[in-house]
Amino acid sequence: MSAINADAQLSYQQGGVGLYRYDEDNDGLLLSQGLLEFRYDLTSDWSAHGVMNAYQDPDPTIGFSQAYLRYQPLTNSRYKWHLRVGGFYPLLSLENPDIGWISPYNYTNSAINSWVGEELKTFGLEATFKLPGKSYRSPHSFTFVGATFKGNDPAGTLLSWRGWAMHDRQTLFNEAIRFAPIASLNTPQLQFQANQDLPFTEVDGRFGFYAGIHWDYLKQSQFRFYYYDNNGDPSVLNQNTGQYAWDTSFSSAAWLYKLTNNTRVIAQLMSGKTAMGKNRGIDNRFYSHFIMLSHKMAKHRFSFRYDYFEVTDIDDWQFDPNTSQGEGVTATWRYQLTPQWQLGIEGAVMDSQADNRAAIGFKSRFSQQQMTLTAQFRF
Amino acid sequence: MMKISVALILILFAFKSYAVTITLFDQNQKPLSNAVVWLTPTNKVLMKAPSTDPFIMMQKDRQFIPHILVVPQNAQVEFPNADSIMHHVYSFSKSKTFELKLYREQPQTAITFDQTGVVELGCNIHDWMLSFIVVVDSPFYAITNENGNVSFNIEPDNYTLNIWHEGFTDFSQVESESIQITENNFSYSLKQAIKPIVAIDVDEFDDY
Repeated sequence: MSAINADAQLSYQQGGVGLYRYDEDNDGLLLSQGLLEFRYDLTSDWSAHGVMNAYQDPDPTIGFSQAYLRYQPLTNSRYKWHLRVGGFYPLLSLENPDIGWISPYNYTNSAINSWVGEELKTFGLEATFKLPGKSYRSPHSFTFVGATFKGNDPAGTLLSWRGWAMHDRQTLFNEAIRFAPIASLNTPQLQFQANQDLPFTEVDGRFGFYAGIHWDYLKQSQFRFYYYDNNGDPSVLNQNTGQYAWDTSFSSAAWLYKLTNNTRVIAQLMSGKTAMGKNRGIDNRFYSHFIMLSHKMAKHRFSFRYDYFEVTDIDDWQFDPNTSQGEGVTATWRYQLTPQWQLGIEGAVMDSQADNRAAIGFKSRFSQQQMTLTAQFRF
Repeated sequence: MMKISVALILILFAFKSYAVTITLFDQNQKPLSNAVVWLTPTNKVLMKAPSTDPFIMMQKDRQFIPHILVVPQNAQVEFPNADSIMHHVYSFSKSKTFELKLYREQPQTAITFDQTGVVELGCNIHDWMLSFIVVVDSPFYAITNENGNVSFNIEPDNYTLNIWHEGFTDFSQVESESIQITENNFSYSLKQAIKPIVAIDVDEFDDY
């Protein structure tokens, strides 16, 4: 549960241009995260996993954010491997290791992982191959990941028309995300595009893929690099749902380093491109990075994060400007009252600019702030 | 009174044991800690019956506790899971092959280790988890302290001195030598090199 004092700028969730999850008309006392994570062993090697989430915003919703089967044979070999099949996140973030892919650090995710939580999901098969340092008496451990998937064709829609945002609202299977009714949707070129994003749908019938590598030194330093390509065919449109296939690809590098047992730095950067339309009428580059410092002191955890983000429009469709940028800081203090109850307070400020705001009557550039008091109960 | 004296003398004769300290050195003549040392008496009469209390190999904070457990042959070991998450403990070692899926709420029955040898334990979910159960055919066993010392209350006689260390190239091998125990302390230098040990510290967010 959270008590929120939010900014006047209407949130993208309500069809506004605000980049936080809440706004003045939608704050107060809210169920910010309700989730249930489960695991059920089918056989010795197969297990079923799922995460069910409940949200009050933008509308009361309950559903799955993850559901998959995992095959992990017990082998007498130095290397280990496992498969996941179903709907799940690529493990490219070091910010979201808690149950249900939430962050134990800030409540509001970084711009990068806000986007991962809203527009990225693997509906397919992922294979993981591990060389644990333990087996080789080495402080270095390596993991190699490869996956292929369907769906996820509209990924890129929000980055182009809304820009990066900062929140912890994960998109559930089959959910739609609203964004502001930008002026270019009224042009003949974009007349079939819906004023919402269905990020996990399949549009072009093609398979996407990603590959990743994890490199751990002990567990003191953890590094992850992923390359993702949804292999979208930008010329394909589903007229019924108003969704295009976007050709979206990116590289992500994440690093966690423990300065001491209680203090850690987490940093991540993501750089990619997304395009849609027969002749790539929309063609954008996107980039973001964050750096976070988190310190644990007895029952207290303090986390401070700086985010930078930008989208650069490189196409010649002047009527649909997609360039945007911004930066923000997020500071969080969590207190573990009992093993079940955790209290927290977070303050966040963000400054952002987007070229498509002026045409719908907003200031191109504005600042936002959000204050959150959260009580978390675990059972 | 006489009867009591005779009885006392008999008891003294029967338990004429001494506290003997053995100091272990590696090949660089540095004291070797965390080595398992056990003495197998040549005269089997000296063997005491091992205790029947179950031994404990716990999983806590995504690590095994203790890291090394020495048990006499036929001992029972319980595997309580103190973590809120599941562990999948396994061994492929020759002297005991098994797997256990362990939940905090569902304690499993103890496992009997009926063959001597070194059992390497892992967790199929948490790659870094590692521990050893050393099953020995003797009631005289201990793990060397930071000074490389172990002490035994033991009768002077001929014994086999057995040593195992995590840094051995082959986990399943034991270094053994016949020795004669007197009331004097003595030291022993290993015949093989010790590889450096990799210990991985983890916290609750490291298994993502």
